[in-house]
Order: sequence, then structure tokens, then C-alpha cells
Amino acid sequence: MKLIDRYVAEVGRNLPLVRGRKDIEKELRSTLEDMLEDRARKSGQPVDETLEIDLLKEYGAPQTIAQTYNPQPYLIGPRMFPFFVFVLKIVITVVTIVLLVLTGIEIATLSPMAGPDFVKAVWDGLTGVVGAAIAAFGNIVLVFAILERFVPASEFQMDEEKEWDPASLKKEPEPDEVKIWEPILAIVFTFIAISIFNFNPQWLVIPIIADDKAAFIPALTEAFFRWLPWINIGWVAEIVMNGMLIRTGRWTISTRLVSIGIKVFQVVILYFLFTGPSILAVTPESLQASGVFDADAAQTLGDLAQNGVRILIGLGIFGTVIEIIKTLYKLVTQRSSISV
Amino acid sequence: MTNNESLENVVLELRRGVIVLAALSQLGTEQYGYSLLKKLSDLGLEVDQGTLYPLLRRLEAQGVLESVWKLEESRPRRYYVLSAEGKKLLPKLKKEWAGIVSVMDKMLA
Repeated sequence: MKLIDRYVAEVGRNLPLVRGRKDIEKELRSTLEDMLEDRARKSGQPVDETLEIDLLKEYGAPQTIAQTYNPQPYLIGPRMFPFFVFVLKIVITVVTIVLLVLTGIEIATLSPMAGPDFVKAVWDGLTGVVGAAIAAFGNIVLVFAILERFVPASEFQMDEEKEWDPASLKKEPEPDEVKIWEPILAIVFTFIAISIFNFNPQWLVIPIIADDKAAFIPALTEAFFRWLPWINIGWVAEIVMNGMLIRTGRWTISTRLVSIGIKVFQVVILYFLFTGPSILAVTPESLQASGVFDADAAQTLGDLAQNGVRILIGLGIFGTVIEIIKTLYKLVTQRSSISV
Repeated sequence: MTNNESLENVVLELRRGVIVLAALSQLGTEQYGYSLLKKLSDLGLEVDQGTLYPLLRRLEAQGVLESVWKLEESRPRRYYVLSAEGKKLLPKLKKEWAGIVSVMDKMLA
């Protein structure tokens, strides 16, 4: 077999799945033979292997030549890519949230919530979330790679490709603007919280109803009420800050600094609530004492409630820290935009 | 990226833009791939084989060109020529090109 034939066969093996592979190979062979003949005539040399080698070297690697015939060098083409990203964001978000919630429930039902079982459950949950997100990503890529090849791209027009009206453009959010209803709502709810926790703690009970039996047990322990004066300080500071926001109508450097200060203070309190004695009065003992549950059910539900409240406080700390970071970021960008 | 590389990239982009028109302009009469390549080269436009052959296939798929296999000198060769649609398209492309050249001449004067 001549070198050119071997070269053509190698290009053929590397050709993408396009129609007319044999045709491409035939045309390539014909071209190479024309070129070889042309070179031999110009140089006055006979056609030999050296000339063939020179020609093929110059023509290029078979894989490179084969790729020039690839009409679709993308796994997912530019036309379908925005739709792919749109679907990916939704699916990954949903999968992550659902699995995180399931992990949270699994951890909350651990009895007792401590030791290697807890660490293992958290680790399994997190690796499960990452694994599921990667699997979802792979599946979506696979589906879109198939669609890219079998569905016309025109079927996947994004909204912006259709006729659009510039008037429909979303208003750019003003980062420092305060929506007036937000501080008003915050003040109202903070007042409600202050009045209930301080003046009507008897309302803080948990009704327990099962098998025609009912009982009301207090929701919070003495440990919580020991921290209430400090919690009140945080709430009052929030009311003052929201009052400032209503007055100015904008976030300023000082209101952002005050907000960060309040949140740091709240994180500290939440930390003590998290690490200190339980603030929830719903325990296996109190449930059993209510007479509604037998010992086993009371134990399970009590553990669930105790673990659940610590998880909620932990989430509260996490959320508040995120809020602090967000406010800090806005503060820094606000300062830099002022200095510009 | 050096200045030379930038220059090469821009020149490559410019050439790519004109290859379709250059190839169509020479396919009023039948040509096989290598003869077209040589003709373009003789006229001063060096085109890479890896660019020209896939381009000819694409233009044929778009209905601008037609092709036919012929046996010459004991060798099969695929001849390309403008299709009826290609013949209608070429004058329009020439007009567009003249417009572009005129605008660019003004800009670069």
C-alpha cells in the first residue's frame, strides 16, 4: 500500500460522522496524486517515497486534515449554549436545594446528634450533593449534545433573538435605594417579636395533638430568657436603623456600618445560643410528661426537636454571616464608587 | 501575543473573508479542487488545502455549487462549477464587495 493510501485511510478514520466520507477520501487521494505529479514535474525527480513524505508532511497531520471537515466542532454550539446555561442553572439549583434539605432532615433525625455518626452524615450528605450536581451536569451536557445534532438550532431561539422592545428592558436596580416597605415591615415584625417574647411569653407554647390527646408545652427554656435582654438590644438597634433608613430612603455608609455592627452582635448571641444549654423546652422528658406520647415516640420526637433547633440556629448564624459579607461588599463598592 | 502574531491573525481573518468570493469568481467554468487551488495561487491568493476543500463541500451543500466526478488521465477528479443559484448569487456578492472596497478605500485614504 502506497504512503498516500495509508495517509488517506488515516484521515478517513479520523473524519467526523459526516455524510460522504468515501467521497472525501476519494477527492483527497486525487488531490494528493495531482500535487505529487506536479511536484515531480517541477523538480524533474521521479515520484518516489521521499517526495511523498515531503508532500504529506507539508499537507498536515491526518487528524488535523480530518478536523477541517468537521461541520460541528462544538459539543454544544453557540446558538444553543445560552439555553443550555439557562437549564443548567435551574436543574443544579433544584438538585442542590432538594439534596441539602434531605441531608438536613437526615441529620436532624440522628439520635443522638453527636459523634462519628453526625460527621459521617454531614460528609455523606455533602459528597452526595456534589456527586448529584456533577451527574446532573453530565446528563444535561449529554442531552444538549444530542439535541445539538438532531434538532434544528432555530427551535432553540432565546427570547432576545426574537423581536424585542427596548422599553421591555429591566430597570437596573439601584444598589443604595431602599424600598420603603422593607424597613416598615421590619419595624412592625420586630415590635411584634419584642412584645411576644417580653410581655406574652405564655403564648410561646407548642400544641401537641395525637390520638385524641392534646397538650401544650412551653416552647422555650430558661436559657433562652437569660439571653432575651441581649436579644432585645439587637432588636431595638434594628428598629432604630430601620427608622434611619425610612428617613434617608437610601443606604449610606453609616447605616451600612450600623447594620454590620448589629449583625455581628446577633451572630455572637446566636453562637452562645448554639453552644450553650438548649433553648427549646421540647425534650423527650417534656413530651413524655405531656402524656401524649409513649417513651419511644417521646425520645425520637424530642431528639428531633433538639437537633432541629440547633440546626436552625446554625443556619441562622450562616445566613447572618452571609448578610454581613454582602453588606461589607456593598460598603466597599459604595466607598470606591464615591472615591471615583 | 507579539505584533507579528497579531498581524498574522488579522491577515488570516481578512483572507478567510474573501476566500468564498475568490473561489466562486473562478468557478464560472468547471474546476477540480487542485486546479482551483493553483489558479487562485497564480492570481496571488494562497489558500490552504485544508480550508478550500471543506469550503467547496459546504458551498455545494448550500446549493451554490454543483459537482461531478470525471475520470481523467486514469484518475477520478471532482469538478466544481457554479449552480444556477450560484450564478445568481455571484453578481450580488461582487456588488457587495465593490461597496466594501469603496468604503474601505475612503476610510484608509
